[in-house]
Amino acid sequence: MRLNEALQIVNATNKASGPFSIIFLACGFQPLHLATFIQAHSIRRLGGQIVRIETGLFGNILSNINRAAESKATSSAVALEWEDLDARLGLRASGGWTSASQRDIERLSIRRLEELESAITKLSASIPVAVSPPSLPLPPLGHTVQLQATTLSLQLEQQLAAFLQRLAYTGSARILDPFWLACNSPPSSRLDPKMSLLTGFPYSIKHADAVASALVDLLFATPAKKGLILDLDETLWSGIVGEVGVDRVSWCMEDGSQVHAWLQQMLAQLAENGVLIAIASKNQSELVEQALSRKDLLVPRGALFPIIATWGAKSVAVQEIVRRWNIAADSVVFLDDTAMELSEVQSAVPGITCLQFTPKDPGAVWNVLQQLRNLFGKPAIFAEDLLRSNSIRSAEALEELALGTVSSKFLHTLGGRVILDYQRDSADTRPLDLINKTNQFNLNGIRLIEGDWRERMKSPTGVAIKVSYEDKFGPLGNIAALLGQVQGHRVHVTSWVMSCRAFSRRIEYHILESLFRVTGASELRFEFRPTERNWPLQNFFAEIEIDYVLSGQASLLRETFEKNMPELPHQVSEMTK
Amino acid sequence: MNDIQNRVSRCFANVFPDLPDSELPKVSMASLARWDSIAQVTLLAAVAEEFSIDFTAEDFEELTSFALITDYVTAKVSRG
Repeated sequence: MRLNEALQIVNATNKASGPFSIIFLACGFQPLHLATFIQAHSIRRLGGQIVRIETGLFGNILSNINRAAESKATSSAVALEWEDLDARLGLRASGGWTSASQRDIERLSIRRLEELESAITKLSASIPVAVSPPSLPLPPLGHTVQLQATTLSLQLEQQLAAFLQRLAYTGSARILDPFWLACNSPPSSRLDPKMSLLTGFPYSIKHADAVASALVDLLFATPAKKGLILDLDETLWSGIVGEVGVDRVSWCMEDGSQVHAWLQQMLAQLAENGVLIAIASKNQSELVEQALSRKDLLVPRGALFPIIATWGAKSVAVQEIVRRWNIAADSVVFLDDTAMELSEVQSAVPGITCLQFTPKDPGAVWNVLQQLRNLFGKPAIFAEDLLRSNSIRSAEALEELALGTVSSKFLHTLGGRVILDYQRDSADTRPLDLINKTNQFNLNGIRLIEGDWRERMKSPTGVAIKVSYEDKFGPLGNIAALLGQVQGHRVHVTSWVMSCRAFSRRIEYHILESLFRVTGASELRFEFRPTERNWPLQNFFAEIEIDYVLSGQASLLRETFEKNMPELPHQVSEMTK
Repeated sequence: MNDIQNRVSRCFANVFPDLPDSELPKVSMASLARWDSIAQVTLLAAVAEEFSIDFTAEDFEELTSFALITDYVTAKVSRG
């Protein structure tokens, strides 16, 4: 982004009024263009939402981080530089670069990093925090030529790496990867010494843009894709199984097919992180089953579900898989080696992301693996992610058992247990994750940023329910979330989502029954908005006689709900304060 | 306004969005309260980006009006 473009984006929303988010930029230098770029990138990322930037005082990052913790900001970007560890490592101090000074810098920086760690950990307990590590070069310290690293620079890098590792490990902050930054902002053109001396802002314009863009992406991550569908021949393995046979398809160095081993290792990792993986292949199904049963396969056979091997169009198989997963096509990636198949699927399944696997070009395969990492990457893995694959199989089993009719008698046989947790924990962002990725059973499609979520958790009149479920098929984990405000005898429900994995079990009735009972409310008012995809919720509203079209608002009286409520089949546990 | 003046005025609009076009020819650091040292740095960075030119530290002290900036840019651009 250019500076002029950033200024225009900022100006456009500065004139607007309405609700806004605050990002606190904590840095030790003059924030200047970095603040402008962070504001512009976050406005763009949040779809034009108004964003304000708050900054602290020049020269004291520690107090600025503490200031951020006391501010009304809903997220914070921390831009560290070497001079924050010791002013002598910056351009504006004259404290000396002698060997005695260097020893002193080494000693003091350890203490400074401890203080920064404590402050960032405290800040991240209340709002999401993204940290960019020092990105500018160190001053010309040491007796070596520039080519040869000094013990001081290595020592500082080591201390810094340990500090960042601790923050990342505890989940306190999202750390910008220095390698990513090096790819997107060449180290040799980051520092602007003239501006540093003139204004106290040390970054070149392009570097400021790169750091800002990365910090915003860390704070407001793009929702991860959920499922990957891939081809077999020349994609999962090298060779055409129908021609060379089950034992001759390969994925190893010896046969020159190592790129397929890369992919299989990637798939195993994705599956471990809860990504759904399925096969769509033009093949004979018996042959496919035999090949996938090979013991040397690097991706667990159980991670692949469903497997569709037919001679029909790929798009038909892909659509069937998406239907069985019960997720939207725009959450799915399709990987195939044939351009024609990719094109056919892309035209028949709008929204799906298609990637080509080109085994003859290892460089392109490497790039595809990086793309997969970016498409499926998420800041944290929750228990529900790990349960997703199993719960989809359970849903299929349930569908088969019920033969399309979900009777009370059948539901009782599940031995289900619904756990409704009313304890509001701002550090637990799993319900937020659910709100932001659920489309079908979703009250209004409104996404929340993490900072807003944490604010709502603190509201004295707020009500929040985190719902989890388990039955004889196993746990589904957290499958629903509801947010609202108690207003006298009424609860104003602002967010309500339920995972499609939990459909057909009457859990939605359990939730409302509990909400009426626990809050003592006589009426629920829903901040409802029809969307293209929330028809399951619209159908549910019709079942319980919420007529939002005629009345203009979605309101439910307790007696109306009780009149329409079917027999509730599950055992209920409620956790309240 | 010529092309350079137009492009400089767009940079001014990016930094001072409320400044009417009619005031541009006469505007200076002395006449516009919002034109402080931070705005000066942002303005010259925007102009530098627009024309792919560089300003010296002295330029930041001296280029304190719309007229001075457009004259400077015109001279610099014509020199190539």
